[in-house]
Amino acid sequence: MLQPWSVAYVPAGLFYVDSPRLMKKAIGDNMIPKDWGLERGLDLVKRAGYDGIELWLGDMPWFQMTTTDSEIRELRRKVESAGLVVSNVSTGLHWASPLSARDPKVRTQAVRIVERQVETAQLLGTDAILVVAGLVTEEVPYNEVYQRCVESLKSLSATAARAGVKIGCENCNSEQRFLLSPREFAQFLNDVDSPAVGIHLDVGNIHDTGFAEQWIEMHGPRITRIHVKDVLKHRGRSGDQSVYTNIFLGDNNWPAIRSALTKVGYNGWLVAEMEARYRYAPDQQFHDTAHALDRLIAGQLS
Amino acid sequence: MIDLSRRAFVGRAAATVAALALPLDLRRIGARPLGGTIEPLACAIVDLGDHAVLRESITGFESALKEASIPFARSHPARETPLVIVPGALRIPSRAARLLSDSLENGATVILESGAVFATLQSREFLDHREMLRAVFAIEIDAPMSLWPADGIPYIDYTWPVRVKVRDFSRVVPVRHHGGEVIARAGGVPVAVHQCQGRGTLIFLGSPLGPALWSGDREARRWLIEGLGARG
Repeated sequence: MLQPWSVAYVPAGLFYVDSPRLMKKAIGDNMIPKDWGLERGLDLVKRAGYDGIELWLGDMPWFQMTTTDSEIRELRRKVESAGLVVSNVSTGLHWASPLSARDPKVRTQAVRIVERQVETAQLLGTDAILVVAGLVTEEVPYNEVYQRCVESLKSLSATAARAGVKIGCENCNSEQRFLLSPREFAQFLNDVDSPAVGIHLDVGNIHDTGFAEQWIEMHGPRITRIHVKDVLKHRGRSGDQSVYTNIFLGDNNWPAIRSALTKVGYNGWLVAEMEARYRYAPDQQFHDTAHALDRLIAGQLS
Repeated sequence: MIDLSRRAFVGRAAATVAALALPLDLRRIGARPLGGTIEPLACAIVDLGDHAVLRESITGFESALKEASIPFARSHPARETPLVIVPGALRIPSRAARLLSDSLENGATVILESGAVFATLQSREFLDHREMLRAVFAIEIDAPMSLWPADGIPYIDYTWPVRVKVRDFSRVVPVRHHGGEVIARAGGVPVAVHQCQGRGTLIFLGSPLGPALWSGDREARRWLIEGLGARG
């Protein structure tokens, strides 16, 4: 007998989905309008139909490096009181303090950020963190970045493993200028050589250099979480002009992405990361994005 | 004109190893495996622990020596050790400074790589670093300076023992006064010198070379290996 969602049939013109379990939906707390406050934001996230929330260390006042353990526990209580769970702990702090920095003091801070992510993930009851592993610049070349990141992550993987947390290195292809192809990323993970370190795949970040569905196929069980957004391909990134857009508005091949998720048996979190914000009625974006994720999960794509 | 030949790069102490014929091949000095006890060592890499602030620099020098099959060990230099490398040094404890000075007196070549590039001018570590260089090696340095942002890449231009361009390490410690020859510049600023001290030779690097060795910069390796007269 078919279990619910084990095989979902959708109307003609659409395609089949075969998943043993539903994927879950989350969205970042950094999407909550700045003047809303946590509780109002959590209420919106729940009402919009999400299962969880991604917490960004360093982005919002309720979750900073200086936030104490007891405050973190209180944060978890508020999330769970709202009927949600924490999907994962992310951070943008590594853009300013990368693991690949030449200055040892900056690297020490970068390592401390990852350690705090691991600690808070445990406190928040989740098992995954997002790390922007390295940053290639004109000044700090690729070879250095690669080696520093491998060494740092080898060391941090032991900490993560002890805590039962997986480090997901995000593919920020264009912004990092690092690990630009799926094979390259796989080699990187091979070199780190730890089951506690995988990929936090962002299907919007691949731009013109490849196809998200191929990244999904190649990394399969190493995917810790998936960031979801769409991308306007063939535009490049020019200054502050974002190429990211809402799900289904861009050029990602969503049926192919959905098929690849089924192929590799991914049934984890889909975390919406919307760079383009609604200028008016910002709460509407939460609802629209949730509906888009529902259609992606259900495979209702023509 | 620089009067110290590449052959002499490894220090006059090598001449005391009578069985060796020049050009000096450090690979043939003491077939000492890592961790072994056979003397003499071709090269001692001095790990200053917490005072060696550029840890990857140690790995860089070690990997380059290993690639060139030059026996080395992380240790304090023995009296007859012809080559002593001190990677990424910030504060150099007085005992270590004495050992380096003794090595120079005994004819060794000492490569002293400054790890002060990221230090702040007023920090205790930098002031100690500057004072030690002045007191022990008669080298005066200026405040660390950034090479970035730059037009193009601010390569470090070495003129000795080979002319090569090596990747910069973002910041340098400029050399103001010294008793020898400038062997590298960054945009015209002297950042590395060699000078005679005692019967030996001191090579001071104000732009870290070890990280470039570590990340596989071919020209950095060429500078070191050709300088050692041990083409690998």
